[in-house]
Amino acid sequence: MSSLASASGLAPRVAGTMIRREVTPLLSSSKREVRLRVLNLYRSWYRQIPHILMDYDVPVDQDKCRAKLKEIFMANRDVKDIRAIDMLVAKGQMELRETIEVWKQKTHFMAFFRDSVQVKKTDFMSKFLDQ
Amino acid sequence: MSVKNQQHTQRSKEFSFDGFIGFVDRILIGQLKMLASIARMVIGKAAPALTRPITTTSSVLSSHIFVHRDTPQNNPDIPFDFSGENLKRVDAILAMFPEEHKKAAIIPLLDLAQRQHGWLPISAMHKVAEIVDSPRMRVYEVATFYTMFNRQPMGKHHIQVCTTTPCMLCGAEGVREHIKTKLGIKVGETTPDKMFTLSEVECLGACVNAPMIQVDDDFYEDLSLKDVDEILDAFKAGKRPKPGPRNGRTCSEPLTGLTSLTEEPKGPGFGLQAGL
Amino acid sequence: MIRPRGRMLNTVCSVAHHHFNPSSSLVLPTTTTRSLSLGQPLLQAAKQPPAVVPDNRVELFIDDKRVLCEPGTTVLQAAAMVGVEIPRFCYHDRLSIAGNCRMCLVEVEKSVKPVASCAMPVMKGMRVKTNSVATRKAREGVMEFLLMNHPLDCPICDQAGECDLQDQSMMFGNDRSRFTDIKFEGKRAVEDKNIGPLVKTIMTRCIHCTRCIRFASEVAGVDDLGTTGRGGDMQVGTYVEKLFASELSGNVIDLCPVGALTSKPYAFTARPWEIRKCETVDVMDALGSNIVVNTRGGEVMRVLPRPNEDVNEEWISDKTRFAYDGLKRQRLTLPMLKNAQGVLEPVDWEAALTGIAAKVSRVEGREIAALVGGLCDVESLVVLKDLLNRLGCETLCTEEAFPMNAAGTDVRSNYLLNTKITGVEEADLVILIGTNIRFEAPVLNARIRKAYLHNNLRVAVVGKKTDLHYEYDHVGDTIQALEQLANGEHKLSKDLAKAKKPMIIVGSSSLQDADGAAILANAIVLADKLKSGSSSGSSDHDWKVLNVLHRHAGQVGALDVGYTPGAGKIKELKPRVLYMLGADAGVVTRKDLAADAFVIYQGHHGDAGAEIADAVLPGAAYTEKSATYVNTEGRAQRANVAVTPPGMAREDWKILRALSEFIPGASLPYEKLEDVRHRMADIAPHLLRYGAVEEANYFKQSHALVHGSKRPSHSGRALAPPQTVLEDFYMTDSISRASRTMAKCIQAARHHKTTKYSVS
Repeated sequence: MSSLASASGLAPRVAGTMIRREVTPLLSSSKREVRLRVLNLYRSWYRQIPHILMDYDVPVDQDKCRAKLKEIFMANRDVKDIRAIDMLVAKGQMELRETIEVWKQKTHFMAFFRDSVQVKKTDFMSKFLDQ
Repeated sequence: MSVKNQQHTQRSKEFSFDGFIGFVDRILIGQLKMLASIARMVIGKAAPALTRPITTTSSVLSSHIFVHRDTPQNNPDIPFDFSGENLKRVDAILAMFPEEHKKAAIIPLLDLAQRQHGWLPISAMHKVAEIVDSPRMRVYEVATFYTMFNRQPMGKHHIQVCTTTPCMLCGAEGVREHIKTKLGIKVGETTPDKMFTLSEVECLGACVNAPMIQVDDDFYEDLSLKDVDEILDAFKAGKRPKPGPRNGRTCSEPLTGLTSLTEEPKGPGFGLQAGL
Repeated sequence: MIRPRGRMLNTVCSVAHHHFNPSSSLVLPTTTTRSLSLGQPLLQAAKQPPAVVPDNRVELFIDDKRVLCEPGTTVLQAAAMVGVEIPRFCYHDRLSIAGNCRMCLVEVEKSVKPVASCAMPVMKGMRVKTNSVATRKAREGVMEFLLMNHPLDCPICDQAGECDLQDQSMMFGNDRSRFTDIKFEGKRAVEDKNIGPLVKTIMTRCIHCTRCIRFASEVAGVDDLGTTGRGGDMQVGTYVEKLFASELSGNVIDLCPVGALTSKPYAFTARPWEIRKCETVDVMDALGSNIVVNTRGGEVMRVLPRPNEDVNEEWISDKTRFAYDGLKRQRLTLPMLKNAQGVLEPVDWEAALTGIAAKVSRVEGREIAALVGGLCDVESLVVLKDLLNRLGCETLCTEEAFPMNAAGTDVRSNYLLNTKITGVEEADLVILIGTNIRFEAPVLNARIRKAYLHNNLRVAVVGKKTDLHYEYDHVGDTIQALEQLANGEHKLSKDLAKAKKPMIIVGSSSLQDADGAAILANAIVLADKLKSGSSSGSSDHDWKVLNVLHRHAGQVGALDVGYTPGAGKIKELKPRVLYMLGADAGVVTRKDLAADAFVIYQGHHGDAGAEIADAVLPGAAYTEKSATYVNTEGRAQRANVAVTPPGMAREDWKILRALSEFIPGASLPYEKLEDVRHRMADIAPHLLRYGAVEEANYFKQSHALVHGSKRPSHSGRALAPPQTVLEDFYMTDSISRASRTMAKCIQAARHHKTTKYSVS
């Protein structure tokens, strides 16, 4: 086939040209910038925790909240994409606003702690017996 | 376009009304039709004239059924076999066809069976299937396809009145009605004495001698009602009247003598140049 | 690849360079092109590599597309080659051509009248227009006539939604009718026929395509359907009231383009658009017919065939199609253990498995035995074998026996249908030994009949005379007759030895008792004799002669992974623990076991196996698990999950895997199905090559063992297959035994025998 194709004057296509992809940033243009945004959000939450606990009648104390805050942030520690982090920060800000403005109710706040969620076991035997 | 559409809706309204009538008892149809026309006038102020005149003929279906139902006269338990004489005929018929095309003998064998038995019972079909070594269904198919195979018990004589156009124009319907009143049966029925079965058939190919009836295998042509009486009486008496035209003709020549080809045919050399 | 090189270059170049040139859209007719069905070339077309032949193909144009095709091809087939679909009702690929529906009318240039394309052979230079004004008008006219006498009962018709008439009237019909019933006579009405418990007839809907009639007489071999009457009175039916006594009768439901023939068990239960379809394989016989399981809301609503040219074409047997209601009855849904009173009592999984594990770990490995039935998938067989091997148990048997003299099942070619199902179409002689193939593999029998009709295939039978729907030479009833044939002393020997491509099909049903060894040995001798005779002729040397036809879908898989055929070893051993995996044939009873034996039954139906069990574990049926089955040819096929197992039932391999967790030191490493499949690939890689046949060819070696040893003695009994009449066909396994439809079929078949119209 290829000999046919070249005989007919069709030069074989050279594949593998480098393609540079550029994307427009969401907010931050550098890692440094996005890092600052994250720290900023973390700090805001951290400072708001005492006030939030005054607004909501919830059975948790400040230490637990701070631990949970750290846990939720650390859950996304592996996210490296700047745009993704920007998006997470934006969502975190929204959550924060909703919380401090008391747009949330008690249960919504407690949902951060996920204490009613049962984690399904994934090993064979548990799946077999629980199914 | 819109005008056309309107017309369609109008028409469909009418037809749906007609369709509704179709469900109602037929006796009421006449009255309802009147009502329908009134309704139409009410629905559409100016009922549109039909753009296409509808003429339909009612579909005429056969008076026979095309499935078999066991009856005391006709069921597979009643044995059928060809008589000794007919068995020879069977062999003769089979001899006409190559061994691998035995099935071609189905029609002649069914006919033979019908002639022997007077009509064609299901056992006879089974017998024929056995002889030609074919599935029974293939024989049923043939026997139901041809109208001259009678799958129901028949009278001793089968009267077939032709009522196709030429015969009808020459009074076949009168002949039919006459036979009906004379024998006291309707078309498709058999007289109580099992003497006659009457049926109405399409053209039997004797149009020149219309009207005509066929009794068993014989044509009785150029009939008047008196002739019909004579023929039937003769059969009743166990005689077989002479078949053929009843008005003095020998076959289908003009009654008033020949009107053409009256002279002798010209001999050889007629019209040739003298020099040849 | 098969044409001269020059032409190929030509073609390629023209395609490459001249896309705009209409001549470059040359269509290469595939070698599978079917020619007129009554002709003989129909069958051989697929395989034989055509030598370089003078090109006598006919050139014609369909909608200005150039087609080259063999003479004798019809216009409709030629159109299909260029992807032009012509509407049709009566035409069907696998049936003879009738040409009576007229739906396939097309305009042909220079032809005065439209032409019925299904019956018109191609002619040189024909220019066919399948979408011209005249063609469309002709179609609309035909459609109008068809609908004139077709009832408007689509809302209550089971075919609605998958009806050819509906679809084609939408596609090709006019949007209004000139049918005006001004005399209020109504449409033609035909009384319904009663042709049995499977096929429902609403004959008023019939459009007289005669597909069912042709199917019955050509494929099924039952000449019971036909047309009676003529003209407007014509009707399709049986004339007398009788059962459509065929094991393939359900296929007419698929063939019927309208709702005249529909499924009785499926009637009014579901609509095509509500249904989810799952492509899977059948386990009712060892052919592994490809099927589509139709489900709605977790319930199997019906089973339809899936075309597979190599296995079932597009037919399936009635058992395959209608036994699905057996999947909903008699099911085991809860694990059960015998309590102190000796009564089976529902328990939860943990308790059941703990209880079983306690019993199993108490005995030594060699006192354990396993017995597997005919419906087991390879996955569960492998896991069961792994589990019991870990416990030190080596007695793993199948219920179905197979003679183990000479090479036995050690050589795969000994127990496969080596020539493959398609081999029937190439063969010129089939010798059936001890099998009623019509009931043991109805679809294969249909293929033999096809070859018998179109290919002059000769069939000889050793065994009880039964109606196979084609003529055959009866060699004899007994093993002696077979022996004579093998020794070349039979009066048919000389005649049969002339065959170029002979096939011997030994039914596994005849190999079940002590005489099996003799039967198989004689069959092997006969096979070698025929082979040596045929290879001296012109036939190819790879042609395999010996074939074994199994009855159970799981048998070849079990033998492939190393199970011992037959329960003989179990009876010798008298095990203290017996693990029965779907073993429902009742070959092992309590008497064959130790007095205090503990019997575990794992399976999906409460049948013979569960009856004698001390512990019952509910498994999944073939529609409920992703599983591998190897058919009698050695073709691995995958069954897929159509519905979930009922109640607490689980997929079989999972049950065994879970059980292994409770037995100390036996825990199996499989977490997912893929793990099991990897294990299967380790054992036999072909088990994962789905759809392909793993061929086996060690005839020489295995047959040498037979020839080397003395031929086994036998009792000289008659070879009588267990299924001889139609009523024997319907119930053969735990699923079909639980099916009400199958029970009705048996009843109808029995009644049919007593009627006066049982002869066709």
